[in-house]
Amino acid sequence: MGAPAAMRQLPQIAHVDVNCFYASAERAFNPALEGRPVVVLSNNDGCAVTRSPEAKRLGIAMGDPWFKLAPRAKEWGLVALSSNYELYGDISARVMELLGRYSAWLEVYSIDEAFLGVKGTPEELLTLGRAMKTTVRRNVGVPVCVGIAPTKTLAKLANKWAKNNPAFDGVCHWDAVPATDRETLMRRLSVIEIWGVATRLTKRLNALGIHSILDLSRADPVMIRDRFSVVMMRTVLELQGTPCISMEEERIGRDQLIFSRSFATPITTAAGIRQVMSVYGQQASARLAKHGLQAKVLTAFAGTSHFNPNDTSYPTVSVALPMPTADPVILTKAAHALLPRIVDGIRYARAGIMVTDLRPSGNQAPLSLFENPHEERHIGTLLEDVTKKYGRGSIGLGHGGIRGGPDWTMKRDMLSPRYTTHWDELPLVKAA
Amino acid sequence: MGVIVGPRVIDAGASLLSVLVSPVAVAAGYPSPAQDYFEGRLDLNAHLIKDVTSTYVVRVSGESMAGAGISDGDELIVNRALEPVDGSVVVAVLDGELTVKRLRITPTGVVLQAENPAYPDIVVPSLSDLLVWGVVTRCLHVV
Repeated sequence: MGAPAAMRQLPQIAHVDVNCFYASAERAFNPALEGRPVVVLSNNDGCAVTRSPEAKRLGIAMGDPWFKLAPRAKEWGLVALSSNYELYGDISARVMELLGRYSAWLEVYSIDEAFLGVKGTPEELLTLGRAMKTTVRRNVGVPVCVGIAPTKTLAKLANKWAKNNPAFDGVCHWDAVPATDRETLMRRLSVIEIWGVATRLTKRLNALGIHSILDLSRADPVMIRDRFSVVMMRTVLELQGTPCISMEEERIGRDQLIFSRSFATPITTAAGIRQVMSVYGQQASARLAKHGLQAKVLTAFAGTSHFNPNDTSYPTVSVALPMPTADPVILTKAAHALLPRIVDGIRYARAGIMVTDLRPSGNQAPLSLFENPHEERHIGTLLEDVTKKYGRGSIGLGHGGIRGGPDWTMKRDMLSPRYTTHWDELPLVKAA
Repeated sequence: MGVIVGPRVIDAGASLLSVLVSPVAVAAGYPSPAQDYFEGRLDLNAHLIKDVTSTYVVRVSGESMAGAGISDGDELIVNRALEPVDGSVVVAVLDGELTVKRLRITPTGVVLQAENPAYPDIVVPSLSDLLVWGVVTRCLHVV
């Protein structure tokens, strides 16, 4: 590569995600599932939310309802599993902790994907990507793919490419691929394949003659901003290689809700992190209530800054909540499980929480049923506000979920053991 | 930091609070000569698990490893980050199942050894055919 040293040293983004995460987490402890078609079902064993490649090849689509698949399961050799969010939460935390060792700048993007800031020559970056892939697979037990590129959007694209083209062996470094090949790929892919471009926007882009990702990357950013939005303009700039999507914000995904932020001034004490976790706990509570959801698993994490590569620390903890809840007190207490892992004196530049295993709140009993008003006054105020805004029963305190909502006892007939979080559900190894 | 003890004039005008928060006031009472050396009680987690991220606990079913002190129902601490070597007790994947065996790497081949004469050894054609799930570092046995 003829690029001058300074150019080669520009920071790049690595996007790492676990292949078919839920199915892979199951396979890590049940090798008999290897090579077989596996689907993981949504709450109440409703529909397929994760499909192994073998299941995809059978023509099973994302969201296919289980009652339609069940009659043919035997003939296909299809294994269906209920969502085991406790397991997935712990495996996710392990993957993120491990990735944190490779970069002082780690951004947990969802339960199964993260962005990392990385630097080096193309050769070094490829080696780094391969090391991450090999180590996560060996140490945690789940397969990942890695895309490395100058921007987040391109890193995601590179990752997708690495997944779909066996020649990459799971690691694609955008700049190391010949420009003509990159163009061919971008010409083949529709704009809908791009991170953050929805169906509705695709139609409007098509009307402007923008069909492929290549078309979009060649569009005039200013025109795009005027006709669409700043967000879409950022996507165009990112495709052209200019990093624009910087910091994480609150995101709601298919089955998870994430709050994470960087701090203007690093936090150096557990007491400081406690405060942040409390704020997130309450934000998550309000947000869950708004969407009429409850969560069963909470993951809390913190991390040091990439400007301070000497003292890196990425504590992560995943907590199974006693019951599905949107309760600010319970969520906050769960988030505080991170505190014993916080080392006083280390400069934490970001922290966040992620709630998963979301399900509808169901019919909660009205607040007035609860005899014990919570001691923390501001929680009460928050509850009031939420109730006023979103109606009674949108949020509840304490064990409300248990007494009021029968809905939480979900149908999970095909639940695998919680291998890593319960002594009585450990993986069995044969000595025979 | 050691705490210096000695006679000290207490300002009669000082409030109780200010006495309590004064660092020297902590010296009230007899300082333990050991406090400089106390670093907390024994931590079994830290002792047993060197790499939390890469370590899992599994439960044994069967008696084929009795000779290695591993009995039915025992819990094994398995570190997946370790490189298996000749002599390692490993959890290996055999026919879709997790199995615990002693790994023997010899010039003539790779053998998964039972530690109980009642059970046969398993010969693996080559190391690349063998899927090692993790290396056992400890056995938790109820006595």
